[in-house]
Amino acid sequence: MFLAAIFLILAVVLTPKAATNFPFFLQIVIYGIADGAIFALIALGYTMVYGIIELINFAHGDIFTLGAFMSMPLISAFGLSEGQSSGVVVWLLLLVITVIVMVINGGVNVLIERVAYRPLRHAPRLAPLITAVGVSFILEGIMYVWRGASNVHYPDLLPDTRIPLIGSASLGVKDIIVIVTAIVLVVLLTIFIGGTRLGKAMRATAQDREAAQLMGIDINRTISATFFIGAVLAGAGGVIFGLYFNSVRFDLGFEAGLFAFTAAVFGGIGNLQGAALGGLFIGLVQAFATANFLPGGAAVSDIWVFMILIIVLVFRPTGLLGMQVPEK
Amino acid sequence: MNRRNGRAALTTDTAMRWASGWFQSRNRTIYTLLIIGALLYPSLMDIVTGGEGNHWIGTAAFAGVFVLLAIGLNTVVGFAGLLDLGYAAFFAIGAYTYGMFASGQLLASPLHHEFHIPFWVMLLVGVFVAACFGIILGAPTLRLRGDYLAIVTLGFGEIVPRLVQYLGAGSPIGNWTGGVNGIAAIDPPKLPIILTGPWFGLGTPFGVVKNFDFFNPLAYPLDFYWLMAILIVVCIVLATNLQNSRIGRAWMAVREDEVAAAASGVNTVAIKLTAFAIGASFAGFAGAFYGAQLSLVSSDNFEFIVSVTILIMVVLGGMGNIPGVIVGALLIYTTQYVVLTNLPDWTTSLATAVGLTGLNQAHGDWVGLHDEVQRLNYLIFGVILVAVMVLRPQGLFPSRVREQELEKGTEEQAVFDLRAEET
Amino acid sequence: MKWPKLLAGLAVASLALAACGGSSTGSAVKGTIKIGVDFPESGAETSNGVPALNGVRFAVTKTGSVDGFTLEVKNLDDAVAGVHDPAKGAQNMAAFVDDSKVLGVIGPFNSSVAKAEIPVTNRASMVQISPANTNPCLTKTVYIPAALTGTSDVSCADGAGYTPSGLRPTGTNNYFRVATTDDFQGPAIADYALNTLKLTKVAVASDAEAYGKGIADAFTARFKNKGGTVVFRQDFPNASHISDFKSFLRTAAGKGAQAVYAGGTNSNNLCVMRNQMSGIFPATAQFLGGDGLVNGDCLKDAANEAANIFASIATVDASGNPAAKSTIDGFKAAYPNASDFGAYTMPAYDATKILIQAIHLAIQANGGNSPSRAQVLAQMTKVDYTGVLGHTTFDANGDTTAKVISIYQSKATSDAGSTAPLTTQGSYGWYYVSKVDYSGGL
Repeated sequence: MFLAAIFLILAVVLTPKAATNFPFFLQIVIYGIADGAIFALIALGYTMVYGIIELINFAHGDIFTLGAFMSMPLISAFGLSEGQSSGVVVWLLLLVITVIVMVINGGVNVLIERVAYRPLRHAPRLAPLITAVGVSFILEGIMYVWRGASNVHYPDLLPDTRIPLIGSASLGVKDIIVIVTAIVLVVLLTIFIGGTRLGKAMRATAQDREAAQLMGIDINRTISATFFIGAVLAGAGGVIFGLYFNSVRFDLGFEAGLFAFTAAVFGGIGNLQGAALGGLFIGLVQAFATANFLPGGAAVSDIWVFMILIIVLVFRPTGLLGMQVPEK
Repeated sequence: MNRRNGRAALTTDTAMRWASGWFQSRNRTIYTLLIIGALLYPSLMDIVTGGEGNHWIGTAAFAGVFVLLAIGLNTVVGFAGLLDLGYAAFFAIGAYTYGMFASGQLLASPLHHEFHIPFWVMLLVGVFVAACFGIILGAPTLRLRGDYLAIVTLGFGEIVPRLVQYLGAGSPIGNWTGGVNGIAAIDPPKLPIILTGPWFGLGTPFGVVKNFDFFNPLAYPLDFYWLMAILIVVCIVLATNLQNSRIGRAWMAVREDEVAAAASGVNTVAIKLTAFAIGASFAGFAGAFYGAQLSLVSSDNFEFIVSVTILIMVVLGGMGNIPGVIVGALLIYTTQYVVLTNLPDWTTSLATAVGLTGLNQAHGDWVGLHDEVQRLNYLIFGVILVAVMVLRPQGLFPSRVREQELEKGTEEQAVFDLRAEET
Repeated sequence: MKWPKLLAGLAVASLALAACGGSSTGSAVKGTIKIGVDFPESGAETSNGVPALNGVRFAVTKTGSVDGFTLEVKNLDDAVAGVHDPAKGAQNMAAFVDDSKVLGVIGPFNSSVAKAEIPVTNRASMVQISPANTNPCLTKTVYIPAALTGTSDVSCADGAGYTPSGLRPTGTNNYFRVATTDDFQGPAIADYALNTLKLTKVAVASDAEAYGKGIADAFTARFKNKGGTVVFRQDFPNASHISDFKSFLRTAAGKGAQAVYAGGTNSNNLCVMRNQMSGIFPATAQFLGGDGLVNGDCLKDAANEAANIFASIATVDASGNPAAKSTIDGFKAAYPNASDFGAYTMPAYDATKILIQAIHLAIQANGGNSPSRAQVLAQMTKVDYTGVLGHTTFDANGDTTAKVISIYQSKATSDAGSTAPLTTQGSYGWYYVSKVDYSGGL
C-alpha cells in the first residue's frame, strides 16, 4: 500500500519526462542504476553489521574509500597505466587487484572490530558508536596523511566504448562492469548467507545472540566473519568507484557512507535484498534530480533522498522490505 | 576528598567542615573549579600572552557555545535516552533565525525589507523557533524505536544544511539564507547602557557607556565572554532544575524502561517530545549567540560532523551528568579547535627553535613539517576518541545513577549487552 | 641519560633565540608590525593559496622593515579539510583583530570568504586588500550590468543577495582589491568562446558560491546576448562533496552542448568534472572557466583531460610587463619550485607593497610612531603605487581602475614549444593566450 503510493507519485512526476525524450530518460536511468550499484555494495556491509550487533558502523564508508586508495599502488605495482590498450590481460590483472584489495580490506575490518568494537560489547550503547566515529577519523586520517586533502586521480583503465541503444541513449562498458559486478556480488552473498554453515550462524546470531551461543555457535568468529564480508564488498565497491569516476578523496566515504546507510535503512535494515534495492533507489533519485527531472535540480538531490528516508521511516519504520520486528 | 579528610575536618572550625562537605560531592568540586577557572581565565591569558590574550578569550566564548550545545544534547540523550544524530540542525535553526532577522539578509528575500531585531528578543525567538522545529520533527517520529529515531534525526540533520544552501540566490522561492555563502554582517548584541570597569580588562577605567555595542573595542571580546558565562549559568540552572523536576523523573523512567513507564501512567510520547523540544531550544540559544559573536552564519558550521562532535562531548564527559558534560565539551573543544588547529604552528616553531629548520621545508614526499602535522589531525583525534572510549566507555564523569546501572549490568549479563539498554 | 642532554640543548637554543630577539630590538628597531595574511593554504587549495602567500612573503622579506618597524607576516589558513571555509575566514579575521600588532590584512582568495570577512575587519577599521577576489558585489551595487544582459542592470541585492553597504557596518570602506571583477572576467571568456573558439552551445555549471555563481551568471548573460545558447545550467551547492558529475555531463551532452563553462574553484571539484567529460564529450571539447581553475591542482584533477581548458585571470599577466621582469626573476630565485608561482603571486606581491606603503604613510603622519588601524586606512586614498601589474589606483569603491583580463590555456608541456608556462603540474601547464582590456567599456 505504502510502497504503491511512493511508486505512484514517482510515476506521476517522471512519466512526462520519459514521454518527452525517452532515450534521454533511459540514459539517466542507466546512469542511476550504475551509481546505485555502488551504493548498494556499501549498504550491504552496513546492513549486515547492524543486523548482527546493532551498531551503526560509521567507519564503514571509510572502509570503502580505503579499498579505492589501496588499489592505486597495486595498479601501478602490476604495471597498469592509463592509455594502455585494454586487452584480456588488463581485465585479469584488474580482477586480481580487486580480489587482493577485498581480502586486505576484510582483514582491516576484522582488526578494527577486534580492537575497537569487541572490548565495548558490554559498554553503554553509545560507546561503540563513538568509537566507530573515532575509527572513521583514523581511517580518514591515514588516507589524509597518505595522499593529502585533495582529489586523487584514479587511473582510467576501462574502455570508454559505448553500445548504442534506442535514439541517443547508449550503454557504456563501464556501466555494464559496475552493474554486473554488483549483481554478481549480491547473488554470491545471498547464496552464502542462505546456504553455508557460516551464513546460517550469522542469521542465527542476528536473531538471538544468546540462543545462538547456546546452540554452540562461536559468536566472536561469526561477528568477525560479518565484518570481513562487509569490508570485502565495500572494497570491491571502492575499486569500482575509482574505475568509474576516476577521482577519489580521503573523506569520500563519509558522504558515501551516509547515503549507503540511508539505503540500508530504506530497504529495511538487516535485509540484504532491501539494502541492494535501497542503493539502487538512491542512485536513481540522485540521477533524476541532477537531470532536473525532480524539482530543484542537483542542488536538492540530497534533500530528496533524506526526505524520502524520513517519510519511509515514519510510515513504515522497518523499511521497504524489512520484517516487522516486535518491540523488545 | 575521602572520609578520613572529612573526619579531620570535624576537629577544625565549621568553615572547614562546610568546605569538606561541599567538596565531598564530586560535582560540586567540578563546579567550583569551573567557576574559579572562568573568573581567572581572562587575566591569566593576558598575563601569559603579555597583554595579547584577546584571541584566547574570544576562543573561550566560542567554546562556551559548545558547552551550551552539550548541555542541551545531554537533555535529549543523557536524561531522556533519545539518540539524536542531527542536533546541529537545531543549532543551525537558532543561528539562522538570528542571522536572518538581525542583518541585511532579508532585503534580498521576497520580503524586500531589512530586519534588525535586538539580540535579546531574538535570543528568545531563536529558542522558541528551535523548540517548534523540535516538536515538528519529534511529533511524528518519537513513536519509533530507539535507533530509528537516531536515523530520522540524522536525516533531518542532513536536510537542514542542504536546504539552507539551496535557499540562497537563485532559488525559485527567493534568497532567504544567502545559500552557501551564508549570512554575513550580523548585528552584535547591543545594550542601551553599560558599566565599564576592570572586568573588561585590567586597565579599563570605571565609567558608563551609552548605546553600547558588543564589538566596542573597549570591552570586546570580554563582553562576549561574560555574556557567555551568564548564559551558561542560566542553562545549568535550568537543566539541573529540569532534571530534578517531575519531568526529569519521567525522562529517567522512559529512559530506563519505556514500557514500564507507560504502564505507570507516563505519557511517553509527550514526555519524549518535551525532551526533544527542550534540547532543541538550548541549541537555538547557542545558535543565536554563535551568529552574533562570529557575525556570520554559514551552512558549513552545521554539518553532520558538528552533531557528532557534540555527541562525543556528551558521551565522553559522562551522559546525564551536567558538570561532566561541560568538562567533556571543554576538553573536546580544546583538543579539536585549539590543540589540533595550532599543533602545526607549534611544532614548526619548536623545530625552528631547536634548529631543525630543514624539517620545515618541503622536499620530495615530505610536504614540510607544518603540513605533515596538519595531515595528522584526523588521525590523532580518532586515536584519542577510540582510546578514551575503550578505556572509559562510561565517560569521564558519569552520573551516579548510570554508573550503578552499568556495574550491575555487566555482572548480570556476561555475554552481550548492547541491547540491554533498550530492553 | 639522553633527556638531560636534550633539555640542555633546548635551553641553549632558547637562549640563542632570546639573544637574537634581544639584538633585533636594538635602538634602530621600534617594534614589530604584522601583516595578516588569509589564504586557503592546504589540501586542494594549496596551489591557490600558497603561491599567493609566497608573493606576500617575498614582498615583506624584500622590504624588511618600514620606518624602523620590523615587518612580519602572520598567515592563517582559511581552508578546512582542504576547502576554503567562510566561517574559518571570519574566525581568522577575529584573530587578526585580536592581535594589536596586525595593522592590515592581505586576502582572502575566495569571494565567499571575503563576504564573511569584510564585516569583521570593517568593524575594526582594518585595511583589507585582496589580490584575487572578483565577485562584483563585494564592492559594487550592480551584479550584472545592462551592457551584458542587453536589457537592464541586475542589482546585487536581487542577483547576489548582498550589497557592499550591507557588508560594511561602519559605513566606511576598508576593502580594496587589485584584481578586477567578474562582470569583466565572465564576458572575456564568453567573447573568446564565441569569436575565437567558435562555440555556439555550451552547458554552464557552478559551485553556487559568491564567486562561482557570479562569474557563471556573467558568462551566461554575455554569451546569450551575443548569440550563443546555454543549453543546460546546474548549480552544485555541495560541490566539494560531489565526486560524480557524470549525470550533469550526460544531460549537457544530450542537450547538444559543445563545451562546458564551470564557474567556481578547483577545490569544489570542478576540474574533476573536466576529467569526467572523457567518454561523454568528444576528446577535443573545451572546458571553460574563471580564475578559480588556473592552478596546478586543477590540472592534477583533470589528469588525462587536462589539455584545452580555457580560463581567465582578472589581472594583467605580469610576465608580459618588462618592468616586472626583475621582480619575477628575483622571486623565482627565492622560490625556485614550479608550484611556488601562480597566477596570483604577483598580484599578492603588489597588494602587499600597497599595504606597506599605506603603513609607511601612516607612520609618517603619526610622527614616526606606530599608527592605529584607522590611521592606516585613512592613508589608503593617498597611496600612489606602480608595481609589477603597472600603476594601480583605486576607485571610490576600492576597486582597481585597471580592467584587464588575461586568458590562459592549459596544454601538455610537450605541445607548448618555447613558450614559458605560468605554472606547471606534471606534464601539463598553463600558458598565456591573450588579454582583453575593458577600460573602454564592455
